[in-house]
Amino acid sequence: MSLPEEAYAVALASVPSIGPATLRGLLGSDPPSVAWARTRGASGGSVHDVARIWAQHTELGISVLMPGQASWPARLADDPQAPAVLFCLGDPSVLRRAPTVALVGTRAPTRYGIGVAAQLGADLSGAGVSVVSGLALGIDGAAHEGACGAGAPPIGVVAGGLDDPYPRRHARLWERVAEHGAVVSESSAGVGTEKWRFPARNRLLAALSDVVVVVESRHHGGSRHTVDAAVERGIPVGAVPGSIRSATSEGPNALLADGAFPVCSAGDILVALSLEGATVPVPASTLTQPRQPRPHPTSGTDLRVHAALSPDPTSLDDLARVTGLDVSALCGALERLARAGLAVGIGGWWERV
Amino acid sequence: MCDRSPDVLAAVASATLSGAVGRPVSVEVHVSNGLPGFTIVGLPDAAVREARDRVRAAILSSGLPWPMRRITANLAPSGVRKGGAGLDLPIAIGLLVAAGELSPDCTEGLAFCGELGLNGSLRHVPGMIALADASSPLGMVVPLCDVREAALVRGDDVHGAATLGDLTRILRGQSGWPEVPAQSVVPRVPSAPDLSDVRGQAVGRRALEVAAAGRHHLLMIGPPGSGKTMLAERLAGLLPPLPPADALTVTRIHSAAGCALPDGALLDRPPFRAPHHQASVVSLVGGGSWSLRPGEVSLASHGVLFLDELGEFPVAALEALRQPLEERVIRVSRAGGTVTFPAAFLLVAAMNPCPCGEGVYEGACTCTPASRARYRRRISAPLLDRFDLVVPLSRPDPDELLAGTPGEPSAAVAARVAAARARATARVAPGPASRPELASDAEALLATKLRSGDLSARGLHKVSRVARTVADLADEDMVSFAHVSEALFLRAGRAAVVA
Repeated sequence: MSLPEEAYAVALASVPSIGPATLRGLLGSDPPSVAWARTRGASGGSVHDVARIWAQHTELGISVLMPGQASWPARLADDPQAPAVLFCLGDPSVLRRAPTVALVGTRAPTRYGIGVAAQLGADLSGAGVSVVSGLALGIDGAAHEGACGAGAPPIGVVAGGLDDPYPRRHARLWERVAEHGAVVSESSAGVGTEKWRFPARNRLLAALSDVVVVVESRHHGGSRHTVDAAVERGIPVGAVPGSIRSATSEGPNALLADGAFPVCSAGDILVALSLEGATVPVPASTLTQPRQPRPHPTSGTDLRVHAALSPDPTSLDDLARVTGLDVSALCGALERLARAGLAVGIGGWWERV
Repeated sequence: MCDRSPDVLAAVASATLSGAVGRPVSVEVHVSNGLPGFTIVGLPDAAVREARDRVRAAILSSGLPWPMRRITANLAPSGVRKGGAGLDLPIAIGLLVAAGELSPDCTEGLAFCGELGLNGSLRHVPGMIALADASSPLGMVVPLCDVREAALVRGDDVHGAATLGDLTRILRGQSGWPEVPAQSVVPRVPSAPDLSDVRGQAVGRRALEVAAAGRHHLLMIGPPGSGKTMLAERLAGLLPPLPPADALTVTRIHSAAGCALPDGALLDRPPFRAPHHQASVVSLVGGGSWSLRPGEVSLASHGVLFLDELGEFPVAALEALRQPLEERVIRVSRAGGTVTFPAAFLLVAAMNPCPCGEGVYEGACTCTPASRARYRRRISAPLLDRFDLVVPLSRPDPDELLAGTPGEPSAAVAARVAAARARATARVAPGPASRPELASDAEALLATKLRSGDLSARGLHKVSRVARTVADLADEDMVSFAHVSEALFLRAGRAAVVA
């Protein structure tokens, strides 16, 4: 039976007791087949197991990348903590293209964060920038939702094996990212999604990006790992400013205080990229476009209610207090404003559009 | 063989409680020669078995003789379980008749119910209304403190006595029945808290008003300190007083459950029940091994059942609420039999939007998505569907709290509620055709929401009903755009719990 060298690397990566660092050590000195033969005692596997694991990966359409190969991403060539082997669904050549920008953040964002992430994802992708993100719930997902099909191929960097989409809710998004670009992981198919794999994933995510942007994150959120990895590698870090009252903007606001560059539009990121040597046209961002003239509220009540609204969600109690209207009149006015596209209500809170 | 005295048999009518219903019981006492002793047969529970010692002590304390012979008391029908201490008095009377202290004629046409103290006093028995029902058409003799309650259903057929000694003298014709005291010793039910204590909270106040006017079940979702409990406690005060028939039903249930009744014995205000979230299924819906007791849903019937911290209730307890919510009665089945209790309550529940409680404010919640999802799963979709009103609440504005202008008092809101209910009744009364009259723009609004998927078919039905109530409160025939908008808003809190 003749198996490619990659098959032995995959088999080694599938051994639970061999982590990324051990694997790097093993494969640093010997070719995979030799390393596998040497650790056979530890892994307890036979050539049949190697063949079985290899068949599993090829059946799933997972390509395996190793350092030194032409397909190996240039960014990882002299990375201090480069993975020893990479698994990829989709087109692996996407990993070698530039520029790439990581959009990361909390799994429990506000609608502001979701909107900004999706807009940045779409704008960057439209400008030819590959959006890198973790395919997690919240900001990560929103960024890729925006980026998928908007232009440049997206890159998803995930923690677990590529056979098992995590979180399950993003299985469809996961497929779309693989379709338009690539989903990569340093975990082989069949391994569990243990906790330690997430910080490791964040390190890989930063290493594959030219710029890291934090959209929304809590003070001690997981985005901190991505930012730390980016800083270690000299990768510029941007942050989207947010309300000082919002817990989900604590992270980016603190980063801004620490010297991260402010991101108010995709243009700001493109400027940071071109300073790094990339050359892309800077498009007029839709984020900060001047507002088109809108229909005006007509009746006096509607005017009063419209004036009392703000871009932040306001409770009906506050609106009732400010306008002095009763709940019935207030609800009527708000529905009229909503129909005119001047207000939006979600979960009983209202904000001006 | 020395036959000093012949065997004597006495029979006295009484009643026992099963669930909230009384069953007639005939107490037979047999006194015969033999070793002195006292046995009670006929499926007595522990309280009835202990009657032996209470009855003996009460008879001796009252200065009456205790026959030193063999005494057997039988409770017929013997196949029915008898519970409670209410059978003390008929056993004692039967014994006195059998011992020759009372003539059998003087107990003729009377049923006796009452617990005996060791000093011979007659004590309160729970469920007196049901017992009085079961004793019909006999006249009734009860402890003096229970006369008012029994008189609710039996009027002048009820007599009371304070002690066993007094009763013996009355039955012997040595004195007349005593006057019922003007004031009973049962404490007054404290008056309900008033809505004027609530500052601000326009949305919460409005939700209460709509819930009270249309009997819409209400779920309030808000962070700790947003006044959910304070609001809910004031809902019962907005409901109209109970009509006599309902008042009797409510009193009957409370009496059977052994709750304290007010001075006049009749509970004519809608009850307010707020069981703690550790409540068991049985305590909520009723039950018990064989002395079936009404649960909180029945005690709250014709009033308000308030479940604070809805998300903390055991899932089984919440799911058990679905059937009574639908059918307005609860059937409790046990090996010993099935009992139907009323359960026509208005459900008001309060919960935090998530475990940390800050979920209504965007970006303030510190829960993980998984813990939030877990919390939401506790409220099943079918249960959530029972709430017509799901209202998001926010913390009141500090300035408004400190400003000190009192809110609208309960009486003013209750007047609007009563007027709206009268309108609704008048509208439903005449004929079958009572589709809500919808203004054209209101209909268009509903159509938009339906088409955009914001509203399901069931949701449409609920919103229409609530909009109708809102229009009734505004004293308008036509359901307008504003009414539908408000009805839509009053269920907007669903967004915080669904998904």
